[in-house]
Amino acid sequence: MMSGYRLKYFLAIFSQLFSTVFKSSVYILLSWFIDTWLISNERPIPAYGIGLGFVLLALCEGLFTFYSNSTANYIAEKMALRIRNNLYDQIQRLNFAYHATVDTGDLIQRATSDVDAVRRFFSEQAIGIGRICFLYAVNFIAIYRMDSSLALSTLMIVPLVFLMALFFFRKIGKRYEAYQNQDALLSTMLQENLTGVRVVKAFARQDYEIEKYRKENWKKFLLGKKLVFTEALFWPSTDLLCGFQMVISYMLGAYATISGRISVGDFVAFQALIVWIIWPIRNMGRLIVQMSRAFISFQRIMEIFANEQEPLDEGTVMPRKVPEGEINFDHVSFAYQPENETLHDLSFHVSPGQSVAIIGPTGSGKTSLINLLPRFYEYTSGRITLDGMELNRIPRNYLRKHIGIVEQEPFLFSRSIAENITYGAGREVSTDEIIQAAKAAAIHESILSFEKGYDTLVGERGVTLSGGQKQRIAIARTLLKNPKILLLDDATSSVDMDTEVEIRAALNELMKDRTTFIIAHRIQTIMQADLILVMDQGKIVQSGTHQELIQQEGFYRQIFNLQSQIEEALEKELSHGG
Amino acid sequence: MADNQFEEEDFQSKFNGNVIKRIFEFITPHKRWFFLFLFCTLITSVMDSLQVYLNKLLLDNAIVPGLKSQVLPYLKYYGLTVIIQAIGVFTFVYLAGMLSERIWYDLRQKMFDHLQKLSLSYYAVTPVGWIMSRVNSDSFKIADLVTWGMVDSSFAIVNILISGGFMLAINWRMALIVFAVFPIMLYVSWQFRKRILKEFRLVRKLNSKVTGAFNENIMGVRVVKAFQREDQNLKEFNDLTYPMFQSAYKAARLNALFLPCIQLISSVALGLIIWSADWQIRSGLMTIGGIQAFVNYVTSIMWPVQDLARVYGEMQQSVASGERIFSLLDTQPAIVDKPDAFEPQTLCGEIEFDHVSFWYDDGDGRPVLEDFSLKVNQGETIALVGSTGGGKSTIVNLLARFYEPKKGVIRICGRDYRDYKMESIQSRIGMVLQTPHLFSGTIRENIRYGKLDATDEEIEQAARQAGADTFIRSFPNQYEEQVGEGGNLLSFGQKQLISLARAILADPEIFIMDEATSSVDTLTENLIQQGMDHMMKGRTSFIIAHRLSTIKRADRILVIEDGKIIEEGTHFQLLAKKGKYYHLYTQQYREEKERDLKLNPLSA
Repeated sequence: MMSGYRLKYFLAIFSQLFSTVFKSSVYILLSWFIDTWLISNERPIPAYGIGLGFVLLALCEGLFTFYSNSTANYIAEKMALRIRNNLYDQIQRLNFAYHATVDTGDLIQRATSDVDAVRRFFSEQAIGIGRICFLYAVNFIAIYRMDSSLALSTLMIVPLVFLMALFFFRKIGKRYEAYQNQDALLSTMLQENLTGVRVVKAFARQDYEIEKYRKENWKKFLLGKKLVFTEALFWPSTDLLCGFQMVISYMLGAYATISGRISVGDFVAFQALIVWIIWPIRNMGRLIVQMSRAFISFQRIMEIFANEQEPLDEGTVMPRKVPEGEINFDHVSFAYQPENETLHDLSFHVSPGQSVAIIGPTGSGKTSLINLLPRFYEYTSGRITLDGMELNRIPRNYLRKHIGIVEQEPFLFSRSIAENITYGAGREVSTDEIIQAAKAAAIHESILSFEKGYDTLVGERGVTLSGGQKQRIAIARTLLKNPKILLLDDATSSVDMDTEVEIRAALNELMKDRTTFIIAHRIQTIMQADLILVMDQGKIVQSGTHQELIQQEGFYRQIFNLQSQIEEALEKELSHGG
Repeated sequence: MADNQFEEEDFQSKFNGNVIKRIFEFITPHKRWFFLFLFCTLITSVMDSLQVYLNKLLLDNAIVPGLKSQVLPYLKYYGLTVIIQAIGVFTFVYLAGMLSERIWYDLRQKMFDHLQKLSLSYYAVTPVGWIMSRVNSDSFKIADLVTWGMVDSSFAIVNILISGGFMLAINWRMALIVFAVFPIMLYVSWQFRKRILKEFRLVRKLNSKVTGAFNENIMGVRVVKAFQREDQNLKEFNDLTYPMFQSAYKAARLNALFLPCIQLISSVALGLIIWSADWQIRSGLMTIGGIQAFVNYVTSIMWPVQDLARVYGEMQQSVASGERIFSLLDTQPAIVDKPDAFEPQTLCGEIEFDHVSFWYDDGDGRPVLEDFSLKVNQGETIALVGSTGGGKSTIVNLLARFYEPKKGVIRICGRDYRDYKMESIQSRIGMVLQTPHLFSGTIRENIRYGKLDATDEEIEQAARQAGADTFIRSFPNQYEEQVGEGGNLLSFGQKQLISLARAILADPEIFIMDEATSSVDTLTENLIQQGMDHMMKGRTSFIIAHRLSTIKRADRILVIEDGKIIEEGTHFQLLAKKGKYYHLYTQQYREEKERDLKLNPLSA
């Protein structure tokens, strides 16, 4: 993942070394100035030269710091960009089996906060730890060159502070988690209260809700207090440790100066350098704990990449430009899980341009059957052929290009209605075409009734569409795609009967010259199909044309007879009531 | 409603004294703690500057003259400042942190309490997400400002002032050099902050769009695949993430440049000080310790300067947060009780709509109900039927006093219902909504919502009457089973049964049910019917009816179209009319029959 940036990132960390060298040089220069100018009263160069030296050193330090941080951030942001884009692409290319099991919230969290954690690892943590190590090494060497025992004295407290910080940040991590969980709980509670406002009001439970919220809110306050207490203990206690280290170092330094082992200038430099050894160590513990979290985040992201993508152009046959649409099922079975077969031994044949209606109770396998055609799922045994070619040898790309689907609960994107209609066209579409499609789907009038017409936004920021309106927009969307094979998965289930008549006319137009699979439950939609399949528990229990099926005892005839039953019943009721 | 009223982050407000004043009023109840932590902050800050001064004394009075005996006394003082500082740090970190939590708590609670008072008309136009951000994050920003923001800024100001004082005391000429550089530093810091903030805002905005894009890509993955939008989507996604990268990197680069620039400015001051030190020491105006102190003051002054610039930037955002919070808190509930409203012991179920007109304020101003009159007797069951948007829900909303009529009067027991306390009406009305809403928690807790002091026996009794007992007992934890967020661990039908049990437990005088249009299996359907039967017995009931069985059972059926009653009567009367009702009924009949066939396995 870091490819192309390794060397650059190494340089970024490495320039921290130069930056710290220049930082320490400031104090070495100061020490030389004090010893030579002020104590010995010598002037090897004019005093403004020293002043310029300070500015120059700051400039050099600044250049290296800037280079280091800006490079590290560049790489971090580039990596985040790369991970985000790759993740996005990975997610849309994973197969259905994966998507069926995944939790949207969790996936989004990985794609956002986990990516952010990895980003911060590169922009802050790795570089920060590098800096602390260099600060320590450089300043230690600088002090060691003055006086080795002074340098060694600074070592006393360092491991202690480091361990304390490590221990503390571990502990605070746990408390923080509890606090965060309570925060999430509170947030859920608020959301439930807001979305359930009618229930709250209907039962006049405002006071109860307030009390309930107060209780959890107070709990969060107490958890927060506890968290703050731990934090409040950490800082001053390490302050104390560091402070006493300073006192001891100052004392040793002072005695060394007075006894003449080091010069006054050295003492001044020593006092400054030691600050840069002691205090940064405190941050080390925090960075290490944060880093360990970044690693977990990284793993969580890699888990997504570990899943195999759906190979879209894999296939051993390359069919001609546009399929004829002849489909044959030959003893096809399918199972989502190996031990539990969903479809058993399906066989039927569809000629190009014919329509197949599938009916049957919920859970009988109608949608599963349809899902096999664009290879959303792979059949487990038997053979499906398209124009005589084995389906699982045809590239998915090709199939999906020529198969159009309208789903029962179509998903629309939060863009304008026009953009939703042109979503799958894969080409420039004129306004005229959009309107044509909308008219054919019997949604044009409804769209015009919105204030912004075709530019109306769908979803949270825009209008809330009814189920029927969504379905009709989805139909328009599929119309523009102009597929050779059409799958209608209960596409008119949420529209009322009057609208359905309108849509059916549109659909009839749409179905011309296309091989069509219709899942439907209204007899009027099914009657005209060239082949009707009645499914139950994964099997085809009846098949044939309308004429054939009404001759047989069974589900189909029951449905068909409903109409006359209804009229009979009404007659009865009327006469009974009258 | 303007589209962008609820857009985030677009309150680019200038400083508003009034808002700041109101923000700081949140501290008033905790004044003592506030001043205590401010005091501790000051002490800590003073110790900080004092330590530098003690170092100077140590150098000048012990080390340069070579007096070994003088070392320890100074270091003792130094140690003392370390201890005082540690105590100060502990106190202000604890107090500021605790106070921040406390004010966050206060604010959240205040908003939550206020939200409970607001009327449904507010919720109809305000997105839930918007309210959530106010309660969860804007409140945090305010709490942060009045605590940590105050710590940082007061620490910084005191540090600068005290250091300045020490510098003046040590050597006023050199101090003037520092004072000359100081405003430049402040100005540069602020300029950097402003630009960084601007980029950050952009990043945040884009980030929420990126999250939205992920969400859509996951939820709509079927459509993406079916329409082969993968490549196009990735391109569009990159159009979001690339500008985000650019802004984020721009901000980071500015940030990386920021510190070196400030350091460079302070090094100029340092250079000038060293230069002038040369002759000042020779003329005895300055000591070595003094030089050291100046070096320390100058190199550390950039930290408070940075803090000030940061707090100032955050303050701007907090003011915007404050404005949004106040806009919520200042919203008055549309429906309030009359001052002399009274609380009846019980309510009778005699209801009258007397020439009622109503329109929604956020609608197009067209009346949803116009001159609507209706009289309902105690114990009567009214079924409301008709197409969507005809005004059925509005009638129910008015009856429950979620809204009040714009014209005309609604009477309960012959008395204008605005004379009653709102709570007394609403607690005497039992409601089952079209989309059942449950709260996280157990099944038992959810049923208890109808009557808070109900015994377990009463709860189970209500569940039995609602027909929910059987399926509840099929769960491993039975009544203690968790329902999940919004009840989403249960099926739709189960949720409905539980909300029915909840209403039964409340034992109301008036029962309102908005029947679900979603299909449930026949068994659940029958259970719901039984529950409703139990509920309607002897109670005045309003049912927005979709199911034939319900409709047929009503004493009176009202066909509502365009805010008016177009047909009224019993099932048979209306059927014989062969009008709108007849049409609706036959359509529904067919749908139900077809649904029955569709939902029930053949061989079962």
